[in-house]
Amino acid sequence: MRSSDPDWPTAPSNREGAVVRAAVFAMGTRFEAVLAGGDESRLRSVAEAALAEITEWDQRLSLFRPDSLVSHLNRSAHERAIRVDGDTFELLSACREVWAASGGAFDITIGPLMRAWGFRGGPADPLAVEAARACIGMDAVELDASEQRVRFRRPGLALDMGAVGKGHALLHAAAVIREAGVESALLHGGTSSVVAIGSPPGGAGWRVGVAGTGITVTLHDQAMSVSAPRGRMVQTPQGRRGHILDPRTGAPAGGAGLTVVLGDCARLADAWSTALLVLKERPIGMPASLQCLIDPCSLAPSHNHTTASALLAGACSER
Amino acid sequence: MDMERRAFLTHAAGALAAVSLMPDLLPAAPILRGEPLNIGVIGVGKQGRAIIGELQKLDAVKIAALCDIDPGRLEGGVRRAQGAEGFAEYNKLLDTRKDIQALVIATPTHLHKDIALDAMSAGRHVYCEAPIASTIEDCRAMAQAAKNSKSVFHAALEGRSNPIYTLARSFFRSDSVRDLVSMRAQQHQKTTWRTPGSDAAREKALNWRLDKGLSTGLAGELGTHQFDVFSWYRSEYPVSVRGSGAVRVHKDGREVADTVHCDFVYADGVRMQYMSTLANSFEGKHEVFHGSNAAIKLAWTAGWMFKEADAPTQGWEVYANRQQFHNDEGITLIADATKLASQGKLKEGVGLPNQPLYYALSDFIKSVTEGKAVACSAEDGCRASVLGILANRAVVSGETVTIDPSVLKGS
Repeated sequence: MRSSDPDWPTAPSNREGAVVRAAVFAMGTRFEAVLAGGDESRLRSVAEAALAEITEWDQRLSLFRPDSLVSHLNRSAHERAIRVDGDTFELLSACREVWAASGGAFDITIGPLMRAWGFRGGPADPLAVEAARACIGMDAVELDASEQRVRFRRPGLALDMGAVGKGHALLHAAAVIREAGVESALLHGGTSSVVAIGSPPGGAGWRVGVAGTGITVTLHDQAMSVSAPRGRMVQTPQGRRGHILDPRTGAPAGGAGLTVVLGDCARLADAWSTALLVLKERPIGMPASLQCLIDPCSLAPSHNHTTASALLAGACSER
Repeated sequence: MDMERRAFLTHAAGALAAVSLMPDLLPAAPILRGEPLNIGVIGVGKQGRAIIGELQKLDAVKIAALCDIDPGRLEGGVRRAQGAEGFAEYNKLLDTRKDIQALVIATPTHLHKDIALDAMSAGRHVYCEAPIASTIEDCRAMAQAAKNSKSVFHAALEGRSNPIYTLARSFFRSDSVRDLVSMRAQQHQKTTWRTPGSDAAREKALNWRLDKGLSTGLAGELGTHQFDVFSWYRSEYPVSVRGSGAVRVHKDGREVADTVHCDFVYADGVRMQYMSTLANSFEGKHEVFHGSNAAIKLAWTAGWMFKEADAPTQGWEVYANRQQFHNDEGITLIADATKLASQGKLKEGVGLPNQPLYYALSDFIKSVTEGKAVACSAEDGCRASVLGILANRAVVSGETVTIDPSVLKGS
């Protein structure tokens, strides 16, 4: 699912009160930042510093780079406990919390399953699904807080940060922007993960639409994540299914067609938008600070989104 | 061809490559003997943070201290490196943490010399980012101090520790390229090269690379690493460099060029052309050697050989991995081919399993803890850094600068 391009302000020609747009390719998609207010040259340097943070996290979390930290963990963490930096340890700990609260519907150890279903570059291998299912599970990841070390208790286990990486990177990028004193900015990763800082010049909030749904949300100091299984499909005995897998069954999730999560934290919003696709309903353990929309019927081409829009509007009005 | 024969040939191909070149191209990590080596990192900016990440992969070291004058950066560094003590002044670190045996210097270039000299005087081993200094005098002072010190001094010219570059160098020196006719390199990025700061004074300090009085420009700050690859491969330095540069895009009042060209000439007349820009990222950072038998392209985490049709077959390359570049087919240079071939994983060997920085830091640690010969000495660092400084002079002046071999020498 891709939300539509936000309403970007037009860059004025004067240098003070400028609007700057910058972008970078990372995590297999395009990240973009728009910053407003103040000196143009400084805004651009802040935007670059924020995007550099995203690039840095891509280098750490990418499955497709053999020199990434995640690749290093996937190669070696079953053989010995691997020391990681504090920020990565904190990310893994946060992922464990969502895994527990979602009853395993969100699980970053899903790497072997994603490979078996052909969602990570190679061909699908149905015979490998059962074996992959047997080795995954966040319960098999030891997180030693005293030494910030990570160890996999089961061979074959592999992390796949695809469901949380964009949100995590945006979380850090937004922190860079806030620390630099910029009070008006919008960032997105692949248009499905969004962070809004303040409001655009002259506006009450950043208006963001969800493509193909008619949903429009106004964000102010808030993060939003949109998930849907439709982006990439695979053929199963039950028909064509999307790329969101249910870690509990090992099969593509047959749940909701679209989820939208709003909250303070882009990482949590990302993780929970995936978990909700699997769960189809809000679990008790989901943080109360997160607001969500679960649209079970979005796969149907003729689906009327009036209900969805109303639900989300209700959620937004509670803020 | 049946599968068994194919598997055998694939295995044999990998074995041939390794036997004829190097038996174990991916170096082992430094060995942990007893307690890990206590290490301090001075300068926790972008490069310092990358260094922390790579050091944390090495069980043989413990990051015991970090130093940065910027409180925010220091705090971020300490958050990443659990257990590290934070210092605002490096002298205090040297005075109070006698248990720290080795230091990594990742400050702005013009601040390296004083820290390195004080560290070596205090008996600490030094890993110093490159260029090692921003003036010829400072480069020489550091090389001289390292020569007179018992401490290990490792200059961070990462190509010299990179397994792919080591492998490609063995090809280069074994005549696979044959008659070398030209060389070129580039480093293209899209960035302003400007860093935001909390106030005007801090911003000025952080943007030392845009201060023409302190910076060695694109040629020095970035090019030094790439120029050294050619010097290392050829075991000689160029005799002159002509340069040009301009602010093409980032017209924000800066005087340091955002786009530069250099033309180096070697004693045999072969030239190396270099281009660096902050306006466009196409094809990133790489080096190319052109010979009558083959071209070699190196891109830091990967490398390729492009053979001419009439070049003799060496055996190993027949079943090697290949990548298409428009009309050209590159043979992927893979480190540790024997091991990968034996596991049927040659394709997985494309690209380094760790960042180039990891191998440079590993070499330094091994020199300190295992007595391994220094992969890139202060003298190597001095020569490469002075070459970068002279190239920047050529860029700034727009003229040809003669490179007297005596100018490059550090000690």
